[in-house]
Amino acid sequence: MGDYGFFTALILGIWAYFSIIGALAGWGTAEALVSGFITGLVVGDVKLGLEIGATLTLMSLGMATYGGATIPDFNTAAIIGTAIGAAAGGANAAELGLGIAIPVALFMTQLDVLGRATTTFFMHGAEQALEKGHLKSVERWHLMGTIPWGLSRGIPVFLGVLAGQAVVDSVVSSIPAWFMHGMRVTGSVLPALGFALLLSMMNLNKNWPYALLGYALFAYLGVPTLGLAFIGLALAFIITKNRGGVANV
Amino acid sequence: MSNERKLDQATLRKMALRHNISLQWSWNYERMQALGFAYSLIPAFEKLYDTNEERVAAVQRHMQFYNTHPSMSAVIFGAATALEENYASDAAESIKIGLMGPLAGIGDTLQSVLMRPIIGVIAAGLAAEGSVFGPILMFLAQFFWFAIRFPLFNWGYKKSVGLIHEMVGEGIINKVTEVATILGLVVIGGFVPSIMARVKTPLTYQKVLEGGEKIIAIQDVLDGILPYMIPLLFVGFSYWLLKSKKFSPLKTLLALIVVAFAAAVAGLL
Repeated sequence: MGDYGFFTALILGIWAYFSIIGALAGWGTAEALVSGFITGLVVGDVKLGLEIGATLTLMSLGMATYGGATIPDFNTAAIIGTAIGAAAGGANAAELGLGIAIPVALFMTQLDVLGRATTTFFMHGAEQALEKGHLKSVERWHLMGTIPWGLSRGIPVFLGVLAGQAVVDSVVSSIPAWFMHGMRVTGSVLPALGFALLLSMMNLNKNWPYALLGYALFAYLGVPTLGLAFIGLALAFIITKNRGGVANV
Repeated sequence: MSNERKLDQATLRKMALRHNISLQWSWNYERMQALGFAYSLIPAFEKLYDTNEERVAAVQRHMQFYNTHPSMSAVIFGAATALEENYASDAAESIKIGLMGPLAGIGDTLQSVLMRPIIGVIAAGLAAEGSVFGPILMFLAQFFWFAIRFPLFNWGYKKSVGLIHEMVGEGIINKVTEVATILGLVVIGGFVPSIMARVKTPLTYQKVLEGGEKIIAIQDVLDGILPYMIPLLFVGFSYWLLKSKKFSPLKTLLALIVVAFAAAVAGLL
């Protein structure tokens, strides 16, 4: 069992801070896979970071912040889950890490809302500066908008990792087997939400035959992912070409 | 409209950098990307207007609600830049309002509905085998959407008002959306069973046959009726909550967790 000092917690907190700001800039820094890997490097267990990142990524498919909607924060979850899983070590490290990551991902939705709401004050700050005619101040308010975003991720990671050892000690011994089994099953069921969100965005009620085709191709013929993509692409072009590209979505 | 260029390359480059990197840095519930858009236009206004009053008034025009896909926004920002350069501020306003909705739809569909899930499955597969190419692939797939903002900005800047005609008038938006929808649904139809294949029931029952008793796995029975029935039921349940019950995604997620956890503890899954 490892123990994390102040500096490990600080480094991971700083990564969490900048990963969300990078994601706002459009870089893939706030991906569970990327942060799981980085955390694995920091705590010395890359394999665990990759494993936890991979599982969380599968849960997050189809979930995106369309129009600023709040979704579970699998990025922060990957950092804390990997760090605590690695501290515990042993054969159950991945399950323990995931058992912590999933509640963290859910809890983080509260802080996401808080961060997004706090930036509203910065918007008003910029507006007031504008009324006074201070353009430089407007620019500062905009750039400072990153602070609530970064802190809403950085602080929980710093505290979570710092407290990790205590959490691990008290939690590891007390988690019963049925709870671990429940978390494992829940983890494999959660992608259902992502799919349901995607399907409702793509108007399943009207376009269901395409989804049915994809299901049949995999379930009965075992066509792999890339094969499905090629068939879908060919079909899409055949259909739009024959119809002259009339929208029917 | 005059075609006289008043913004030099250095200013344009600075504006593109501001927009492409920081558009969402002050994202907030009230006006979303508005401040980021206005911030990115400031270098132009400093060149185009002589007095601070004029510059402030110009920035103020862009403080209205604005939100779209951040990569697609580069096209809009490019066009708005060209229009502001010709002092056609009303046109700049209407191009923002007119295109932010349709382009958000396209960008979200292409990036989050199509590309990210497909790449995500491949990358997660690589990472699960212990390969660092998993996270690298995931990062690059997202970075691609950042990199294209620069050519998209140039394209929007060159087209300016012609943009709306080209995208809406010639049906590009509708066509891309339709292609993306068909492709997306075929892929998702296959993803549901493949990604959720682990969701199975361990239940068994004893069947009394003439020659004695036989233990039958309920999963085998279900597979005989409809393969991957349980994953389909969970997706159907979530879809029903979202569509018919008007649950928010977060509420649906909580419902899903409660049901899955309870079923697991009860020994059904």
